[in-house]
Amino acid sequence: MKFLSLLIPLLFLLVFSYALRRKVRLYDAFTEGVKDAAPLILTLFPFLAAILMLSELFEQSGLSAMLASVLSPALRALGIPAEIAKLVLLKPFSGSGSTALLGEIFSSYGADSYIARCACVAYGSGETVFYISAVYFARTKRKKLLKPIMISLTANFAAVVFGCFLCRFL
Amino acid sequence: MNGIFGAVFLLSALLFLIFDPDGFLGALLAGGQKAATLSLSLLAVYCVWLGFFKVLEKSGLAGNLSRRMLPLARRLFRSDDPAALGDACGNLSANLLGLPGAPTPLGIRAAERFCAANNFYAADMLFVLNATSLQLLPATVIAMRLAAGSSAPADIFLPTLLSTLLSSALGVLLLSLTSRRKRRRKR
Repeated sequence: MKFLSLLIPLLFLLVFSYALRRKVRLYDAFTEGVKDAAPLILTLFPFLAAILMLSELFEQSGLSAMLASVLSPALRALGIPAEIAKLVLLKPFSGSGSTALLGEIFSSYGADSYIARCACVAYGSGETVFYISAVYFARTKRKKLLKPIMISLTANFAAVVFGCFLCRFL
Repeated sequence: MNGIFGAVFLLSALLFLIFDPDGFLGALLAGGQKAATLSLSLLAVYCVWLGFFKVLEKSGLAGNLSRRMLPLARRLFRSDDPAALGDACGNLSANLLGLPGAPTPLGIRAAERFCAANNFYAADMLFVLNATSLQLLPATVIAMRLAAGSSAPADIFLPTLLSTLLSSALGVLLLSLTSRRKRRRKR
């Protein structure tokens, strides 16, 4: 963990001092880069809003809990504990939602339990697929996203199955 | 995306109508609120990294770095566009290092450039790599376990690493198997 906190300041220090040696005008370059931040957020905003509203609906309506209880026997057959089914379902939609859920799992089952360890792997091996698809394609006119989304979901799901299996030995 | 949005939205709205009609607007507003606060914090994050990346670019280091990764990236993305590949390499490196928020601006620019050249395969590949997670060290999870009083917070490192490697490899494999190679090079 020590190394990780050193990484970011070191990175800035190295790059900026190298840039100075190459006679880059630091202030001018840095501000030129920052100029793009606000327009970028503006293009992302509609997609962020839609996805976050959708994930809020998905969770608060009880749809995710309902799906989780319907799917949990099938998930259990694959070695995924029923307690983390909701996490597996929510993860593609919402990063903050699944972080909160992971915290709940820690407090109800203990951070060192098998369930919590499976939850960690389920949380860490995949990403927020729908959110990323909205953001990465925000500036393109690409509409046919079903295939890449399905592939990502499948790959992440396979990783959860594999990870829960690994948690039994490692 | 339209299909998924419609299906999840309608099903959830129906459930709200049956069980909790008063909660519907509240849930939508909560989502909007999150979008507003998230975009403000993302604005701060992008200010830092976009500034940093411009310095990196002007110093010539970014060019050096992506030139090293180029042969591999060219095959992975089936593209010859050095600007787009450079952004994509930056995105992948920032992901591997786990720099919070840094991969996104580069990834968006790379996807934009790939799509402008009609290389949708490359944009899809970049998306799949990002969506299957490339982070080598699950820092958030380890910190959370530490805070929750775990006796060995880092012992999930190996299973997480192995399964995230599997998800990325599987994603790349599935995408390249389901895409015809004809689109290769220009077009």
